Amino acid sequence: MTIARVDRRSQRSPARSGATGTGHRTSASDLRRRQRRRSRLTALAFIAPLIVYLAAFYLYPLYRNLDLSLRDYTVRSFVQGNAPFSGLDNFRTVLDDPTFGPAMRHTVIFTFASIAFQYAAGLALAVFFNRRFRLAGTLRALFLIPWLLPLIVSASTWSWMFNSESGVINYALHLVGVSPVDWLNSPDWALTSVVIANIWIGIPFNLVILYSGLQNIPAELYEAASLDGAGAWQQFRRITFPLLRPVSAITLLLGLVYTLKVFDLIWIMTKGGPGDASSTLATWSYQLGFGTLLPKFGPGAAVGNILILIALVFGLLYIRVQRRQEA
Amino acid sequence: MKSRTGKRRYTVIGVLLTAVMLFPVYWMLNVSLTPQQDMRKSPPDLLPLHPTFEGYRAVLNDQLPYLGTSLLIGLGTVALTLVLAAPAGFALAKLRPLGGGTLGLALLVAQMIPGIVMAMGFYGIFLDYGLLNSWWGLIVADSTIAVPFGVMIFTAFMSGIPGELISAARIDGAGTWRTFVSVVLPVSRNAIVTVSLFSFLWAWSDFVFANTLDGGGDLRPITLGIYKYIGNNNQEWNAIMATAVVASIPAAVLLVLAQRYVAAGVTAGAVKD
Amino acid sequence: MRNPRRTLLAAMATAGALTAVAACGGGSDSSASGSGSGKSGGTYNFWDPYPQFDASSAWGKLVGKCGTDAGVKVKRTSMDTTDLGNKALLAAQQGNAPDVMLVDNPVVSTLVEAGILNKTSDLGLDTSSIQKNILGAGVIDNASYGVPIGANTLALYYNKKILTAAHVDPASVKDWASLTAALKKVKSAGKKGITFSAINTEEGSFQFLPWFWGAGGDLTKLNSAKGVAALSLWKQWVDGGYAPKDVLQNTQTTSWQEFATGEYAFSENGTWQLGNADKAGFPYGVISIPGQNGGSAPVPTGGEFVTVPVQKDSSRYDVSKKIVTCLTNSANLLTTDTTLTYVAPTAAVQAQQVAKNPELKPWVGAVAAARGRTSDGLGTKYPTISQPMWTAVQNALSGGKSPQAALDAAQTAAGKG
Repeated sequence: MTIARVDRRSQRSPARSGATGTGHRTSASDLRRRQRRRSRLTALAFIAPLIVYLAAFYLYPLYRNLDLSLRDYTVRSFVQGNAPFSGLDNFRTVLDDPTFGPAMRHTVIFTFASIAFQYAAGLALAVFFNRRFRLAGTLRALFLIPWLLPLIVSASTWSWMFNSESGVINYALHLVGVSPVDWLNSPDWALTSVVIANIWIGIPFNLVILYSGLQNIPAELYEAASLDGAGAWQQFRRITFPLLRPVSAITLLLGLVYTLKVFDLIWIMTKGGPGDASSTLATWSYQLGFGTLLPKFGPGAAVGNILILIALVFGLLYIRVQRRQEA
Repeated sequence: MKSRTGKRRYTVIGVLLTAVMLFPVYWMLNVSLTPQQDMRKSPPDLLPLHPTFEGYRAVLNDQLPYLGTSLLIGLGTVALTLVLAAPAGFALAKLRPLGGGTLGLALLVAQMIPGIVMAMGFYGIFLDYGLLNSWWGLIVADSTIAVPFGVMIFTAFMSGIPGELISAARIDGAGTWRTFVSVVLPVSRNAIVTVSLFSFLWAWSDFVFANTLDGGGDLRPITLGIYKYIGNNNQEWNAIMATAVVASIPAAVLLVLAQRYVAAGVTAGAVKD
Repeated sequence: MRNPRRTLLAAMATAGALTAVAACGGGSDSSASGSGSGKSGGTYNFWDPYPQFDASSAWGKLVGKCGTDAGVKVKRTSMDTTDLGNKALLAAQQGNAPDVMLVDNPVVSTLVEAGILNKTSDLGLDTSSIQKNILGAGVIDNASYGVPIGANTLALYYNKKILTAAHVDPASVKDWASLTAALKKVKSAGKKGITFSAINTEEGSFQFLPWFWGAGGDLTKLNSAKGVAALSLWKQWVDGGYAPKDVLQNTQTTSWQEFATGEYAFSENGTWQLGNADKAGFPYGVISIPGQNGGSAPVPTGGEFVTVPVQKDSSRYDVSKKIVTCLTNSANLLTTDTTLTYVAPTAAVQAQQVAKNPELKPWVGAVAAARGRTSDGLGTKYPTISQPMWTAVQNALSGGKSPQAALDAAQTAAGKG
């Protein structure tokens, strides 16, 4: 039936069959070309809703944010419009601000410490739960609970636990004879406290993805390895970890992208304080735009754009590494 | 014999690890039962010695509509995310559209935009299209959190579907859409459950979009309902924590039921590649 | 193989349909902009920062009644006070500002700067009976932009039991030296000294001002010796263990919760805690915050203002004005300020309040002596000073910087605006 249709088509368009010689070869390459175009259109049809969606809901906010950062907006011009174009002034203001250095530094520490520990803990737990003991499934599901709590609740709970006077963590330290730590009040500990809370919140995500990645490693490989006398650690190093690499890569990348954006947690626990001891680019961006009585939308948006740029750099790096691996 | 005690050891360790991980959740429960005057007691009570149920009473009186709305928004977000992400994932995995690589990058970039930037951008759009202060508008907004990730999951999973399955369907004369619906989707059940889980949880705990875009609506989610207890000069922490406890229960139930599907082969394609 | 063009069309149609359904579904009155003409029967939007009062509360019912008395339906939205200002700006940008809005008084100057509030004189609202210093927080460039719903301020609550046990006579706390001495006595008697809020938000600045002003400090010169003296006082208390380290995280509510445990002798807190004080379970008293060298320290005014944002359709102002007048008439002020435990803005209602509740008398006096934060010509300069100020307090109390260095940095930042 397909062939019949093709023949009819090639009869209808004799002009095409001219250049390439015999009629039979022409209809074959014609068929391929048409099939390719058909499949390309189909593919386009499948992703068209997504493209429209992306353009409408992501391009526009990005554009607005860019606009906010490239113009000199006062509260009046924010409401009424007509803000003058100011080029890179907002970016320059941000870079000159004394908070920029600390915010940048804290962002780096916060992000990398969080990801490292979340990943390590998630991996260890995934491997552990992979052993299929009783209650493994239920316990693994319970591990996801931190994730479904509203962030204001988790962050507030951690604030309470870290409270220097009435917090349970200092109480526990007191019971083992360690003097109380000013978790949220001291510039030395504030960042550590928010990192700890962030790790706790991020473990479920890593656990879920890494665990499902583990499911794809065939059990036969482990059986063969233990027959050869490999211990648990060796099995992990030689089988699990290498085979998990693509999944690990995407988990780490997404972890990075999501952690860079984290702001609620820090804002609720310390608001970037004391002073700017736990300020990151994300909290600083919010503070400039919404955390004062007189918002500075331009610099706030500029910091936001810097954040997106940093994430973009890592995204491109990931893609390059991935492409090199595939090649 | 040895393996049984060995396995039991794992269960014990597992329970201990879970207990440590869930300690803050226990603490939340503890605070929800603490009366106002003991809130800042030092040292704190490890067990709620003078429990008060006023927090829970407040929750049951006030919060049930908010919980219902959260459930509605969560399920709606799941539906919208699946409808948008599954076909796109299939296309990127199997159909090789032009610009597939750029689309992949776009999906990554989409996830890099801070929530408040998105919310501010949406405000104008939503106002113009009448989506502001509505639960269906919030579904659209919450889906933007989940869709890019959903597409990535579907792409990864569907690339692992053997090509023979799809060619077999084609040979039988099925079109691409038929193939997608009748062959690919049933096989992708695990990916569907995973994406549903993620989108539900993200929608359930979203605050930024709810606050900016549904602050004045008649139906508001639980993340805003909690703010009822955060007045300008007064915060009722036992009620806030009680709300959190009650809000966690339906989500926890869904989690336990769904985790079986999330387990197997979500990222099947990644290893094969 | 189906026609791919048809598939493409189907896909675009689906995408289009989804958007259309969403838009059509929103066609009913779900957008926040008010509907109806300025005459009877429309919906008016009302925002306030009291999410703890729902529709069935006295305040909620009052708002509704003022609306129906004016012939319209009022749609009330309450939100967190820090959010309110930002949301107002965002809404105004899209032409979606509410008709009547209650805002915390230091926000008024920002909203006026953005040009979104109407002058009370333009609306024909009568503010003559309102105490000048209370009205002052909403006065910018000699024009008033809102009507205060009530005022509150700060004082020192004390725990009578602890002070008696430590042999401290509250009447002896007259200046900073005597206060610190009292704290020392309380600490050696085994109890805790004082709690307040030094959080990095406007609340922190609010709590710091009585001490800053009590030393004679001037907000345009944060790093003067007087400012440093005030900050050093707080630092001395925290370092000496008279105040807990977590003052840096305390809101005024959590600071009160610490006081309510019965372990603290003093708490710097506001009028609105009076209701909670009665429930505290121990006998308490109130003294005014002492100045550095005696007398009462000047304290800042708190409290919300009823404002009328600018609308495209100026015929709506008639009804908005009626709603505002209704909310701020004497009878309603008495009810509202009793519920909120604020001091009423007019002398007449204040007298009624004191007659009903004599405990309010010292507070009425305190409010009479209080200063607006945005007064003295500061206006929108105040937010640019307040934020560096609370940052300096955080830096000094956490040990990150010395009080002088912290305030120097703050003055530089405030200078940059």
